[in-house]
Amino acid sequence: MGENNVLSPSPARILKTENMTPIEKHIELELEDKEFAKSFVYKPGQFVEVGVMGVGEAPISICADRKREDLLELCVRKVGRVTNAIHRLNVGDILWIRGPYGNGFPMEKMEGSDLLLVAGGLGIAPLRGVLQYALNRREKYGKITIMYGIRCYTAMLWRDEFLDLFYKGDKNNVEFYLSYEDSSDKQCYELQCERSDRCIQGVVTRLFELKDVKPENTYAVICGPPIMYKFVVQELMKRKFDPKKIYMTLERRMKCGIGKCGHCIVGTGKNIKYVCKDGPVFTYWDALNTKGMI
Amino acid sequence: MMYKVLAKENMYSFFEILKGIGKVYGPVKVGESSYDFREVDSLSEVDLTYVRTMIPPKKFFLKPKETIFEFDEEKLEFKEPPNGEANVILGVHACDINALKILDGIYMDETPDKYYTQRRESSFIVGISCTPDEYCFCESMGTSYALDGFDLFLHEISRGYVVRIGSEKGHRIVDENKNLFEDPKTEDIEEFKQNEKKRLEAFKLKLNVSGIQDMLDISYEDPVWKETAEECFGCGTCNLVCPTCRCYDVVDYVGLNIKSGERVRRWDSCMLRKHGLVAGGLNFRPTRIERLRNRFNCKVGLTDGSLSCVGCGRCAVYCPADISFVEVMMKVRGEA
Repeated sequence: MGENNVLSPSPARILKTENMTPIEKHIELELEDKEFAKSFVYKPGQFVEVGVMGVGEAPISICADRKREDLLELCVRKVGRVTNAIHRLNVGDILWIRGPYGNGFPMEKMEGSDLLLVAGGLGIAPLRGVLQYALNRREKYGKITIMYGIRCYTAMLWRDEFLDLFYKGDKNNVEFYLSYEDSSDKQCYELQCERSDRCIQGVVTRLFELKDVKPENTYAVICGPPIMYKFVVQELMKRKFDPKKIYMTLERRMKCGIGKCGHCIVGTGKNIKYVCKDGPVFTYWDALNTKGMI
Repeated sequence: MMYKVLAKENMYSFFEILKGIGKVYGPVKVGESSYDFREVDSLSEVDLTYVRTMIPPKKFFLKPKETIFEFDEEKLEFKEPPNGEANVILGVHACDINALKILDGIYMDETPDKYYTQRRESSFIVGISCTPDEYCFCESMGTSYALDGFDLFLHEISRGYVVRIGSEKGHRIVDENKNLFEDPKTEDIEEFKQNEKKRLEAFKLKLNVSGIQDMLDISYEDPVWKETAEECFGCGTCNLVCPTCRCYDVVDYVGLNIKSGERVRRWDSCMLRKHGLVAGGLNFRPTRIERLRNRFNCKVGLTDGSLSCVGCGRCAVYCPADISFVEVMMKVRGEA
């Protein structure tokens, strides 16, 4: 059944869920088919097509490092038909998985360098995978700087995890910066009072006022809403970053995940890319050469 | 390549042999000037002098609508539909054969599509030579001749057809029916060459493709996109009739018991608003301008080194707004 068929999904049971915000749910899954699990090797930045039978499939990025071959963590925002259906499921229910798809972040290539992770909102999900991967292999990476932009305190994902990094990350050579947009947010304001060197009110690019980012031996990794990329890139280019050392991961409509259904196509005749297959991780250099990418 | 001659009087026997391979589909006249590949039982139903069908042969391999699998939530299982049977597609033009090769590059790549691959491998393609009309520009696209991608290719000459043998399957048919085929004579070959020459001279519509990818890239903000988008209805007909358009959408249909159903895919169109839309309402190609520009860029984008447009002329023939692919491209190039 489903042999050699790239469109056949594999069942995964929901082990644990946590409502991190009113619209975002953290879901831990266990792949039922252990043979499939063996081949299910993924790296940060890759995604899976998550399906609910009778509703459909949606591309969701994997948000954690691979701990055990049959485990998978996702962060799902309730925003469309499929993701609403996913939110209605409970522990013990089945989701149907295809993947992993996409190129993912070049973790090996970034070894020996400092990492600058810039995330906006839900964009923190794939970057959490990068962060965990690097922390699990701590000696292979240099300083890790995280800039996380949120709307307000209640919209902050993995709050305990990241607040822990905010306060204690430095011990592990991790600097965590936080920006928040809602100026009336009390909890965020308190964080700012406590650590005005690490927290600022405004959009995520304001964090460049707090941290003197240097391009030397540093890879920048960005993920956030589409509007965010050009502003973050602007800040990085001002600081003379190499466009090939700025990585970003993109969102598009995707039905297949393997470069067939055509929805995620970007670029011009000169340079056509499928975000699902050639990406979703691209460098800023790719974006400069592929019109319509960001 | 091996060459044979199939005499006109042997054509009926040849058709019977094709029926022995599987269901035979051929170009059938279905309207005043419209043709379609339909299942045929006798040679008399087929019109091998047709210029183009409305729907290209892609429909045999990537079905307009097909079930990916049936599912049963209760029993936690799903099943694929049974394999397709062998099909013979008789009378495919060079442009359409080259178009199938482009689709092969996508659907039979490193993650091959099982449904497409099975049908492609179980099909038998018989090509046929053609005469261009005022919409054909395959010669400009380098697709007016099929070097491979078929099992047999028939080139009309006065006493029948020069047959090119393009595959082992094709060779087997010729070999098992030696009585129908003879070796080409010098005058057959000479006539074949003269016919090709005449055919190439008959092309009226031409498109300069030199550096066209770059021409499009540099014309990203060109007013031609807005001008053309104002004429375009955004109906997606060009996608449906295009032999290399292969986008598909996926829909789940649920049965009345709400536990079982099927996952279905169907042809999609990049000219429709939904094509670039993601959950939450953001659309990466929000207006017809972006969608139209995307389509033209996709058509000259490279798939395995060849342009994705094969110059069959269908999009221009069937466009309700009379938008001509060549004309738009010439405007982009500054040649119109």
